[in-house]
Amino acid sequence: MPHRRQQHPGPLWRLLSSAGFRFATLFAALFLAAGLGFAGVLWWGTAGTLERQTDSAIRADAQALAERWREAGTDAVIEAIGERLALDADGQALYLLLDPRGQRLAGNLVSLPPGAGEGPAESWHHLTLEHEDEAPGEARLYLLELPGGATLAVGREVSEKQRLRALLTEGLAWAAGAALLFAVLGAWLMRRALERRLTPAVATAALIAGGDLSPRVPLSAHDDEFDRLGASMNTMLDRIAHLMDGVRGVSDAIAHDLRTPIARARNGLEEALLSEDEDPAALRGAIERGIADLDNVTRVFQAVLRIAEVEAGARRAAFAPLDLALLLADAAELYGASAEARGQTLHTGWTAPLNLTGDRDLLLQVVANLLDNAVKFTPPGGNITLSAARDHDQLIIRVADEGPGLTLADRERVGERFFRADQARTTPGSGLGLSLVRAVVQLHGGVLWFENGDGPPDFPGLVVLFRLPAAAAPAV
Amino acid sequence: MLLRLPCLLALMVGAMPVAATELRLVAPGLAYCDELSARFARLPAARQEVARDLAEEGSQLCHDGHVRTGVAKLRRALRAAQPRQN
Repeated sequence: MPHRRQQHPGPLWRLLSSAGFRFATLFAALFLAAGLGFAGVLWWGTAGTLERQTDSAIRADAQALAERWREAGTDAVIEAIGERLALDADGQALYLLLDPRGQRLAGNLVSLPPGAGEGPAESWHHLTLEHEDEAPGEARLYLLELPGGATLAVGREVSEKQRLRALLTEGLAWAAGAALLFAVLGAWLMRRALERRLTPAVATAALIAGGDLSPRVPLSAHDDEFDRLGASMNTMLDRIAHLMDGVRGVSDAIAHDLRTPIARARNGLEEALLSEDEDPAALRGAIERGIADLDNVTRVFQAVLRIAEVEAGARRAAFAPLDLALLLADAAELYGASAEARGQTLHTGWTAPLNLTGDRDLLLQVVANLLDNAVKFTPPGGNITLSAARDHDQLIIRVADEGPGLTLADRERVGERFFRADQARTTPGSGLGLSLVRAVVQLHGGVLWFENGDGPPDFPGLVVLFRLPAAAAPAV
Repeated sequence: MLLRLPCLLALMVGAMPVAATELRLVAPGLAYCDELSARFARLPAARQEVARDLAEEGSQLCHDGHVRTGVAKLRRALRAAQPRQN
């Protein structure tokens, strides 16, 4: 029973569940990942560099003051801080020097950050600076404990850098939002494009599912993946239609070809039953004719089944190395007598050995069918030729007769079951012989083809050739 | 995937340093203006010539009650009077 998932009709669900949306989301994810990687590098190279430079300058300044403390004492550091602040035209420098008791000695900061003296000898702090008549600013502060217990704080106001970082963040956020928007838009467009391109194939499949095998997928001029899919579907549908025609033809042919012998057997038996002649010999003859007719019917069925078996490849397991020359000799011996009885001459020619790997019974059947046809269609006194030769790693087998030959149109159809050329209507046969030949040759990986004989145009004769893969010659 | 972007943005915002501590600056007074003026006066005369007007303007602003602006001008004068470092 076919399983069909429940369809959600909502447009949002259809968008989210579509393959196009998934593809677009995947590409958007890659795009965003690349964008974020780029943003990360940009961030590291701009805002990160500025922060690192600021921290580095603060640390160097603090180390210089600490060095001065060790070399020249407190007053020298107080003077140095005053000098630095006096030259700080931008007003961004922060200093504070406290004595061991916590008394402010120099600097422009009112106090240290809360809990600053309790931590390690060196520490970094991020602060908000209050200005009297301006908005609060951000600052970085480096605390250094000097020998003797004094504390030195050196910092910089970094509001400008913070503003730059905020601008960068805002820009990146907008870029990410825009990328997301484009991802959704792209998903919608891609889904629509996919749906539009797939609609002809879906509509055709729906019509075929409805029972009409005639529609084909319309192809565009793009020759893209969808057109190739459509072309493949069309080829598949043509093949299915051809096979169905074949099945229908076989069914018709079976019904047509078997009706005659079955009706003849039935009529013969009925006639014997109703006959007033009670001669047991006549009754027996009628029954025997009926059995012969029914045997013919059975043979046809067996032939059809055998062809099906061959076409299914079930006989491949029985393949074995064999010498085709011996097989041809057997067939020639068998049909040489038949040809002689009809005043024909069977010529043979090959060079032994002709090694190959295959099914001996089937190959013998092939040669027998071809010779049977040749004997059947060659007029009395004519010549039949059976020959074979090795051509590199192939064996080419040739059966030539002096019969009426086959038209080009008939050669195309000669592999179909129950097909009989017009010239063959008057000769006995079921139209299955060459079907079996073609199936067996194909089973062995070979090719079957036909050529005209050397006769006059209206009666050229037929040359049937088939090529089979040869086995490697056995080592001597 | 759609959840990934807000998470990354949140990480970026979260990674920013948070200003937790507030500190105040010492308000510059007239005494600081005088200190800066005295520092300017100690410079060699030749260096003072470069920014004398700026220093006087800053000192005047301080005495007129515009201490912050005056301090800024005095600092600019001091910086301008410093020997150039290559």
